[in-house]
Amino acid sequence: MTSQDNMPMTRAEKRQAKRIKRFDNPWMNPKLIWGAALLLGIIAMGVIGRFVWDPDLVFTGSSMLRLPPVGFENLRGQAGTMANPLGTDGGGRDLLALIIIGAPNTLFVGLLASLIGMSIGIFLGFSAGFLGGRTDDVIRVSADVMITIPPLLILVVFQSAFGDVSLTMMALLIAGFVWQSPTRLIRAQVLSMKQSGYVQMAQLSGASTSHIMFREMMPNLVPYLFGSFIASVTTSIVTAVGLEVLGLGPQRIPTLGRTIYEAINAGALIQNLWWWWGIPTLLLAIIFIGLLLINLGLDEVSNPRLRKLS
Amino acid sequence: MTDKPVLTLKDLSIDFPTPQGVVHAVKALSLDIHKGRRVGFIGESGSGKTTTALAVMQMLAEPGRVASGAIDLGGTNVLDLDEEQMRRARLSRVAYIPQGAMNSLNPVMRVEPQMWDGIIAHEGKLDRAVLKRRSDAALESVGLPLHTADLYPHELSGGMKQRVCIAMGIILNPELIIADEPTSALDVVTQRQVMQTLKAIQTEIGSGLMLIGHDMGLMAQTVDELAVLKDGELVEHGTVQQILEAPKHPYTYDLISSVPLVGGESFLNPEARAEAPKRDSAEPLLRFENVRKDYGAVTALHPMSFQLQGDTPQIISIVGQSGSGKSTMGSIMLGFNPPSEGRVLFEGQDVAKMSAAQSLDFRKNVQAVFQDPYACFNPFYRVNHALKFPFKQFGLARSEAHMQTAMEEACAAVGLDPELVLNRYPHQLSGGQRQRLVVARALMLSPKLLIADEPVSMVDASLRASILSNIYDLKDKYGISILYITHDLATAYHVSDYVMVLFKGHVVEAGPPKEVIGAPQHPYTKLLIDSIPWPDLARSWGDGRQDWDPAKLEAEAAQANSVYRGVVSGFDLKEA
Repeated sequence: MTSQDNMPMTRAEKRQAKRIKRFDNPWMNPKLIWGAALLLGIIAMGVIGRFVWDPDLVFTGSSMLRLPPVGFENLRGQAGTMANPLGTDGGGRDLLALIIIGAPNTLFVGLLASLIGMSIGIFLGFSAGFLGGRTDDVIRVSADVMITIPPLLILVVFQSAFGDVSLTMMALLIAGFVWQSPTRLIRAQVLSMKQSGYVQMAQLSGASTSHIMFREMMPNLVPYLFGSFIASVTTSIVTAVGLEVLGLGPQRIPTLGRTIYEAINAGALIQNLWWWWGIPTLLLAIIFIGLLLINLGLDEVSNPRLRKLS
Repeated sequence: MTDKPVLTLKDLSIDFPTPQGVVHAVKALSLDIHKGRRVGFIGESGSGKTTTALAVMQMLAEPGRVASGAIDLGGTNVLDLDEEQMRRARLSRVAYIPQGAMNSLNPVMRVEPQMWDGIIAHEGKLDRAVLKRRSDAALESVGLPLHTADLYPHELSGGMKQRVCIAMGIILNPELIIADEPTSALDVVTQRQVMQTLKAIQTEIGSGLMLIGHDMGLMAQTVDELAVLKDGELVEHGTVQQILEAPKHPYTYDLISSVPLVGGESFLNPEARAEAPKRDSAEPLLRFENVRKDYGAVTALHPMSFQLQGDTPQIISIVGQSGSGKSTMGSIMLGFNPPSEGRVLFEGQDVAKMSAAQSLDFRKNVQAVFQDPYACFNPFYRVNHALKFPFKQFGLARSEAHMQTAMEEACAAVGLDPELVLNRYPHQLSGGQRQRLVVARALMLSPKLLIADEPVSMVDASLRASILSNIYDLKDKYGISILYITHDLATAYHVSDYVMVLFKGHVVEAGPPKEVIGAPQHPYTKLLIDSIPWPDLARSWGDGRQDWDPAKLEAEAAQANSVYRGVVSGFDLKEA
């Protein structure tokens, strides 16, 4: 073993050095990068797509009905054309245009709902953890009660009553069901942090309550907030898509869930129109995989014990 | 000494390859441990003590590796063993009692099956009765009652858990026992008991003992030979007597001379007596009026009244074991923890009933140094945030440059290089550096009252003395009265003007330190002082006597009446 000391590094050692380097900068996490790339890809498709493709093709009857994607034939023997590269649906809407408009919409509902939910959660979690007493009791109990209620059930009733809703309205309704887990998480963290040395130190330094909350505690919560945010985006999208597939939610705005609903409704499954329901499903899968990867990556960033050297 | 040593280290070098280059953790270490001998490895943190022990066990953490040399365990070259052979050797031939071993017990298993695990792993399935007999014998040998076997770890005290770990270590009669700071988390009384157990059992089974530690006193009381390590190098090796009486290396000399002794020479600078600034209030600085604190049914602090005038800065020491209520007293004074009964007055103002402006003033004048320096810094900010923020908050900063100089001066006063530490994140500093920064922060604010809860527990002995003497000098310069909460009687003896010994929430003995610690009268104070390990061979402590039973002595102490010794002007303790 002694002779190795002055020899140039072997390939294995070089690889090890590279891994150590990666270990040093936690944000260079392959899972995180891949996940972010997938989601950014969806957003980029929505933004660039509007310029290079005609968004008016989402309207009924803008093209021929039930055309297959390029390179395939439908049951009537029609071949796909470049005018509708991903085919068209039963109403003559172009699928490429549908996903260019629909996929970002789905993501938007998820992001907005969990953004609102997180804000409520941060506010309630901090209030409960910091103020304690009666406030804490009320918040804790209501969060616990809300966790036991299945959101889809309530939302189905709500949405049927509302009829057609806008994307924002839908996000608001969903937000009412994603605030409880961040509330609980933040409350628990605040309770343990309140006892920590640096918070006592800040009190000793005459810091105000808002300083302690936002300048001392909040920065240390960031990893948890991120993780919790991504998790609630996932929940929100699942809820939103669930409602849309049931035919609820926005009726005139294309979303991935709505497209799947229409496909099922028109019998696309038995008519072998696989592209109609298959392409939106694939995009949903990409969104979920992207979110999952980001969540796993963030976990490794905030918890060094999960990072492996080998 | 003619037989073969149980452990021979020959030119042992251990490397840790890191992105910044290879770190040589241990450099060409050669040493023998003979049968029945106790060898102490002493040195500061990072000197390679634990790394050496782990190398013997073949348990070096990745990416560490033995770069050269040989480890010979009673005739077997450890480095040649494969994983399975090494597994067989562990515990049966060499037992390792890790640092904080008491936290390594499985919380969901009773003690007994955990002890059996080791036997079964080495000898296969055995009859239950045989296992039972052997685990009982092991428990008995460490002086634990047999019913301990049926308890869960959380039902045992720290000292008992540590002794269970020792029992597990010796259950297969190993040739070598490695104990890595086995008493670092225990207080002095328990420490003495655990070390005596370890010594007795090691003598009984006649194995070698490798004791890793940083406390010269503990070493002097426990081992036969000492190996002094510094930066991975063995700087001195010899018998304890030889090293204590005539240390050859200057580092060893520093280690020995830096241990403060009760009745020994003072480490304070007698000339630095500055005239303290005058106080502008005639009210006593701090007053306790029948303060009591209960936690549920447990009374942590029994009613206590005292008055600290504070016209001349004084240091009042509060000493006691963990759980004696001394830290509770500290947090009551700071107003973090309201008393269950009674009032705390700061300059005539009730701490619990202050307006916002009074409260800010109170915070400015009453500062604290907390016990755990790891928790005291917000991991999100660079450490200078902790110094800057209060300085600005209390309106002390005249300008950015003024604040910078103040921070640098405060760092220098506690022996830190401001360039090196101020712009770092807390996790980049050692425990000792952080502790010194907390002290620097408190001194920078020049409060009227400083509550120092174990302010130097995490720093090496040599620094401990220098920080305390700095605090001592600064108290005169800025007129800071100090409440020094500690379990370290030797430093309390030197720095304080008045000492209170706390035992289960009662003051058992109080008075000037020369009387209370120098010539204790209360049985509890005597017990505490008897438990200090002295770096002095003549003052024997663990002579293997098995009749020394702290539980009995404590029970006796609980019966005895409090002893109030001489009076010190400026501090007035009401006799209970």
